[in-house]
Amino acid sequence: MIVGQQKPFDEIWSMVRDFKKVLVYGCNTCVAICHAGGGKEAEILASMLRMKAAQEGVDMQVDSAAIERHCEPEFFEPLDEKVRTYDLVLSPACGVGVNFLADRLAGAIPVYPGINTSFYGGVPEAGFFVELCGGCGNCILHLTGGICPIVRCSKSLMNGPCGGTNNGKCEVSDQTDCAWYLIVERMKKLGTLEKLLEVQPPRDWSTGTHGGPRRVSLEHIRAYEEKEEKNAATEGK
Amino acid sequence: MADVAEATERTPVSTIEKPQDIPAEWQPNVLAFACHYCAFAAADLAGVMRLSYPPNVKIIRLPCTGKLDHIHVLRAFERGIDGVFVAG
Ligand code: SF4
Ligand code: SF4
Repeated sequence: MIVGQQKPFDEIWSMVRDFKKVLVYGCNTCVAICHAGGGKEAEILASMLRMKAAQEGVDMQVDSAAIERHCEPEFFEPLDEKVRTYDLVLSPACGVGVNFLADRLAGAIPVYPGINTSFYGGVPEAGFFVELCGGCGNCILHLTGGICPIVRCSKSLMNGPCGGTNNGKCEVSDQTDCAWYLIVERMKKLGTLEKLLEVQPPRDWSTGTHGGPRRVSLEHIRAYEEKEEKNAATEGK
Repeated sequence: MADVAEATERTPVSTIEKPQDIPAEWQPNVLAFACHYCAFAAADLAGVMRLSYPPNVKIIRLPCTGKLDHIHVLRAFERGIDGVFVAG
């Protein structure tokens, strides 16, 4: 899931203070799980902004809403018209959601971010989130016992550990497990330790984030959708 | 279906109190959210026993205080309640 954290309230206030009609528009998927931007958090943020506006003597209407997902068009449709009646959408969805809605609204009204999108992570226990994948586009977890060296090793080493590994902890912080220590221990358990003797060549980062936005296109699904649309159009005639 | 939760009311800017010294006779407006099965039953029992409690406390009965969301507490403050008491 995507993990994010609400921006400091003062930063949010400085973004929204000049608007008259604000919609705090939450997303009920990942950001609801990390208590940053679901329907509940949108309600709370709207209430806090109303109280702040009253305290500061600013005349402002702040409402809230939430839909199940901010990254697919269907979910937006029921509220599309209503959303356009606001001066500003404050979106505590992840960065994907903010981009997606801003593209959808195409400059009609601004969409501002309510959270800082942090990482792709897991929830090992309630209220605790850890980064587990960096979306590198070329997964090598089969070589590392299911432990990602790209994000879990502070140096993204492909052949570790480095000299800084210290009793299972990373030299960067004693709060951080050394990913390569974990990988070695995991590979021992899996009985595949000797696989680590194979030196991994320098990584090809061309699948990473530095070549513009990446895309995945499933042609068979797109062709099917196109056919369905054509059929519907001919039937409608 | 998704809907917009429109602010039920907007606190008129003119009614916002500025920080001030608290007068001696001032009483806070307190809202109590009480669970039907324990705290509310206790309040009921107090009534049966003819015990009194200050009139500046208003009670809202909930089927369970687990039902209480942050927004209920915040709305109370938005509407000028000075303190919220949750018992359950
Ligand atoms: S190797 Fe790449 S795709 Fe696989 S978990 Fe790590 S960052 Fe994610
Ligand atoms: S100590 Fe371990 S996790 Fe830290 S940089 Fe070195 S190999 Fe990576």
